[in-house]
Amino acid sequence: MNLAHALAFVNPFIQAEMIEAMEFPDLANYFHVSGVPQTTINSGLGTMVGSGPEEELINEIKRVLALLEFKE
Amino acid sequence: MLERLLTEDIAQQVKDVFEQTLQNSVHILFFGNELRCEFCQPTRSLLEEIIPLSDKLSLDIHDVELQPDIALKYGVDKTPSIVITAKENNEIIDYGIRYSGMPSGHEFTSLINDIIMISQRSTDLNQDTLEYLKTVNKDILLQVFVTPT
Repeated sequence: MNLAHALAFVNPFIQAEMIEAMEFPDLANYFHVSGVPQTTINSGLGTMVGSGPEEELINEIKRVLALLEFKE
Repeated sequence: MLERLLTEDIAQQVKDVFEQTLQNSVHILFFGNELRCEFCQPTRSLLEEIIPLSDKLSLDIHDVELQPDIALKYGVDKTPSIVITAKENNEIIDYGIRYSGMPSGHEFTSLINDIIMISQRSTDLNQDTLEYLKTVNKDILLQVFVTPT
């Protein structure tokens, strides 16, 4: 199962894009991609490197949502 | 004739997996452009080889320069892009599932798994995650950078 895509499948607010880093090097550089997979959340508000467990990505999403709340 | 991207063995394996797993229809949208897109043609060819492996699969081919309105509708800002959707009663259901670039190597497996997930309309996510997702009501964009190997 592709975790990011599964989250997008379940929740309509979540969009998930798999990006071939070598085909889009400018974007990969912009987000400082050094190891893959790297998951960038909301254009850099959150980041997860590696294919960690489900909870790790969920926790990072929680952190991003908390930041968004704070900004409001 | 162009050389095929999938060997006969791989095509047969995928076909067998699809026969055992696919339940509902899956509709794929491909976005490319004719110029300045090294990976558009092979990505399109790859999809055109996958689609005939099951009668549950369908494909639309779009050109972002000739059909900018459709690209905009799906928020496609790169080529090649693949949008994997469901089609029910002729209506496309967009889950926000995208590939930017050619899904080869590891990503080919991801693509096949995505097709299976959408066709079965269910995921393997754990119960805690599913409960949490019910509370997410702000836009989240996950961009997963990968490499082919």
